[in-house]
Amino acid sequence: MTYMSVETEEAKLDKFMERIESGDKIEADDWMPDEYRMTLIKLISMHGMSEIMGALPEKEWVPRAPSLYRKLGIMAKVQDEMGHGQLLLRVTEDLLIPYNKNRGDLMQDLFTGDLKFHNVFHMETKTWADAGIIGWLVDGAAIITQTDMLKASYGPYSRALQRICAEEVFHAQHGESIILALAEGTENQKAMVQEALNRWWEPLLMFFGPASKETTGSSKQDLTIKYKIRTKTNEEFRQIFFDKYIPRILSLGLTIPDPTLHYDKESNMWSYQQPDWNEFKKIIKNQGPRSEARLNLRRHSYEYNSWVRDALSATIS
Amino acid sequence: MMGEEKFYQEYEIFSKRTPSSAFQHQFSLLAPNEDMAFIMAQENFMRREPVADIWIVNRKHIKKMNDEEKMTLNRLENKDYRTTKGYGYLKKKWRQYEQEMLDEKEILSWGGVRK
Repeated sequence: MTYMSVETEEAKLDKFMERIESGDKIEADDWMPDEYRMTLIKLISMHGMSEIMGALPEKEWVPRAPSLYRKLGIMAKVQDEMGHGQLLLRVTEDLLIPYNKNRGDLMQDLFTGDLKFHNVFHMETKTWADAGIIGWLVDGAAIITQTDMLKASYGPYSRALQRICAEEVFHAQHGESIILALAEGTENQKAMVQEALNRWWEPLLMFFGPASKETTGSSKQDLTIKYKIRTKTNEEFRQIFFDKYIPRILSLGLTIPDPTLHYDKESNMWSYQQPDWNEFKKIIKNQGPRSEARLNLRRHSYEYNSWVRDALSATIS
Repeated sequence: MMGEEKFYQEYEIFSKRTPSSAFQHQFSLLAPNEDMAFIMAQENFMRREPVADIWIVNRKHIKKMNDEEKMTLNRLENKDYRTTKGYGYLKKKWRQYEQEMLDEKEILSWGGVRK
């Protein structure tokens, strides 16, 4: 018996929290409390699967992109999203070792609905302007939450995010380029951007999650802050998003579809119309407009491409 | 889930940006064999930055330190005699002889053409 193993659980937990408080990074093989491991697994598996599911609404626009250059740009972005999924699933798998689970199990959890994917990727994309809004504002929102976790206490996640955020910068600029071209285009093109913004405004507000757990009955924000995985609350993220993007949206002559929206100087907060959180609850239960269709596409490609896995695992006698 | 023999293997990926730079750890990936690991390494981690060479190492061949072994890495801070820090007083000495001290920066600059 080594002397490490005679330490009580309580002493281990104290030492663990001390490491987190001091800014030390926790690695996959280090001792960690179950609550920390479970919080990370939930967060990172959902993040990883959302990258993979998020590639689908964008992939729909590869054949319909308006020029070869735009096609190449959005294809590169779709490939990045799948790459981010690979990184994040890898990080999750190392956390799953004690439970003897792997990415095949995660994929099954996605299919059964036990593993959720992000609310924005359940929505329809009706025009090319939606592809632009996703790059500009959805990726913009993702950058706000992800850069906050660049210094996360869990080393492997923090390192994955360094890579991911570097590429998100390209994604945001790719989206801006599409939106600026349309916003400076014909009346029809301008109208297309406005309609896309109208469609995406509510999902964008929902992106950061409800301000408190009273809305949906549960929230991981307290735990992720306690363990120094992230530093800000859902509402703080949403307010930063408003700070950064409202002036830019307005500068293009677009109208934000919320007549109540204004900056409150007393509280230093944006006041806004709450999205329909009951709709949000339905969406995250896979009852959104495109939830089933996208899950079916993922199920189909997983089964249809299983021959590749079979071929690679075949033994030649 | 994947049959008796583990189908996916875990590989740690190292690469270098230029022929003269040192290898750097990038990340890990899952692949069924080494050839696929090379392909996945490029697809996953090297879509943009220049790369001159890639190493892949199956994780089962890596010997890691446990917590107890890591404790052997702690150093006592009483080894000034091993570093230039312990010889800092020489600067003042040489000044008495009206000579510049040959410090690390000066010595490491000697590799080039004679000035």
